[in-house]
Amino acid sequence: MSEHAKKAKLFLADESRSRWHDETLWMVRQKRDHVAGMVPEWEDLRQQASDIKTDVLEHLPKYLQQFEEKATHHGVIVLHAKDANEFNQLILSIIEKHEAKNIVKSKSMLTEECGLNRFLHTRGIEVTDTDLGERIIQFRGEAPSHIVLPAIHLKKEEIGETFHEKLGTEAGASDPTYLTRAARLHLRQKFLSADLAITGVNFAIAETGTVVVCTNEGNADMGVHCAPIQVHCMGIEKIIPRQTDLGIFTRLLARSATGQHVTTYTSHYGKAKPGGTMYVVIADNGRTPQLAEPKYRQALKCLRCGACMNTCPVFRRSGGHSYGYTIPGPIGSILAPRRDEKKWSDLPIASSLCGSCSNVCPAKVNIHEQLYAWRQDLMQHKKTSWLKRVTMKITGIVLANNGLYNLLGFAARKALKYLPHSWVYMPLNAWGRGRELPLPPKQSFKQWYKQNRKK
Amino acid sequence: MNNIDILKERLENAGASVILLTENQLQSCLETHFPSILNFTDTVTCEEYRKASLEKMEKIDTALFAGRFAVAENGAIWLEDEDLPQRVLPFITQKLVLQIHVSKVVDTMQEAYQQISLQNTGFGVFISGPSKTADIEQSLVYGAHGARELTVIMLS
Ligand code: SF4
Repeated sequence: MSEHAKKAKLFLADESRSRWHDETLWMVRQKRDHVAGMVPEWEDLRQQASDIKTDVLEHLPKYLQQFEEKATHHGVIVLHAKDANEFNQLILSIIEKHEAKNIVKSKSMLTEECGLNRFLHTRGIEVTDTDLGERIIQFRGEAPSHIVLPAIHLKKEEIGETFHEKLGTEAGASDPTYLTRAARLHLRQKFLSADLAITGVNFAIAETGTVVVCTNEGNADMGVHCAPIQVHCMGIEKIIPRQTDLGIFTRLLARSATGQHVTTYTSHYGKAKPGGTMYVVIADNGRTPQLAEPKYRQALKCLRCGACMNTCPVFRRSGGHSYGYTIPGPIGSILAPRRDEKKWSDLPIASSLCGSCSNVCPAKVNIHEQLYAWRQDLMQHKKTSWLKRVTMKITGIVLANNGLYNLLGFAARKALKYLPHSWVYMPLNAWGRGRELPLPPKQSFKQWYKQNRKK
Repeated sequence: MNNIDILKERLENAGASVILLTENQLQSCLETHFPSILNFTDTVTCEEYRKASLEKMEKIDTALFAGRFAVAENGAIWLEDEDLPQRVLPFITQKLVLQIHVSKVVDTMQEAYQQISLQNTGFGVFISGPSKTADIEQSLVYGAHGARELTVIMLS
């Protein structure tokens, strides 16, 4: 069984939880459909977003340079990191330079990708995640299971227990309003004493040197405006050329992510506050090699909205943790093998190739086509399991040979009728676990077609 | 529906309360509904808070700001550095009131970004409702970290 399948099995063992997960994410998908349907030019917007991102990926150095010039002109300190280690070192050096003790952080998948919290922890520096979902999983020592809904794998009773232990809320209390209030009070104290705030970046505008952060909770703003030092972290692909492009992306992002028309706060940071310092740290960390591969380049258009996760029939039923990679779900499954083909070889297989992900993606990333391309590449590079390769080889031979195909089809129809159940559903037949074949038809489609076409 | 109706509907959907007033009703409305309000459209209040400590600002119950314009399609209201003695104010206040003139409503975000100059703005924000979260079992709760309530006063 693949790693993904093993972990999915664990997730599915709790039937009521997995059903809730499936239904809840589907509800988010439906909310997205509802609000997208209210925008008549929705499909045009997706196309425009895709075109802008394609242009960005083709002219990335130009836009990055433009961004840096503008930002620097506004007194912003722009730093570059080529990989995760350099990124973490840079953040550490900023923290040390300003002798920051109390550090708050709002959501940033890049810091997750680089393992920033762990890196700082081993050096005795604690970072407080301030997004409620992220704070919950930080308390529990878990990884996010979804990029927009990090604690979607948890039930409120579990969160109640965690808060009882960490924040002293009443034992057994699990009311979401009560728990959110407790977190608000706890995190307000953190904001008020913060001396350095880290955020992610949704968009960076080359033309003006501004970074844009979208949140519903207001945690990015509370951190950035309370702390004298603000540090915004982004991957190189977050650049967009012009201010007016934001008109397109802000119309797509929240509608795709949570089915809201816009996030509660869309914040634009261009200069530090009076007396403050503003940093933008731009990381490559494996993006340039990906750019060089036309087949997989488009994955860098991703806005990190999470829509492909909410719609994915496999994600909804297997949970984000089953993927193992920082970014789970369809988009994660095409990003992960780029990092390590062997380690993540099972992820492109964890998909039905139904194409729903590509259909909802606001940036029109061709996710399902890339999943398919990865399957071919991983097979060729011999990164998939031995059993899978042999089965595929044999299947290929059979499908390419008409006589053999007919013969085996005939044999299978007979065999399925007469062989004992335990033989057909032997351990090698992974497909048969949890599934039953339909009754075999009397004749093949080919035979049926020949017979009926004559009439 | 005209864009004022759409704006009102989208704001209410996002958890905000909307009040429609004429300009000369404003003062008495504020006095009745928000007796303890800090009015940041007033230069004296702005000056008082330009250097205020976080501890002082954290005690603010209700704060009023004038939005520059609003976006009908999503209820977003634009504020920037010039409207704020300190950037943290519209977030740290427990309750937020934004006033906006009905003549200052655009239809979409694409039009909105034609109105702004990020080039010259140190900080600017679109606010479209009270702070919220659904991180606990997708149950919507208002008042995550920013203002717990948002009231929008639409002036004509
Ligand atoms: S690939 Fe598309 S749908 Fe998936 S998270 Fe990225 S932008 Fe959203």
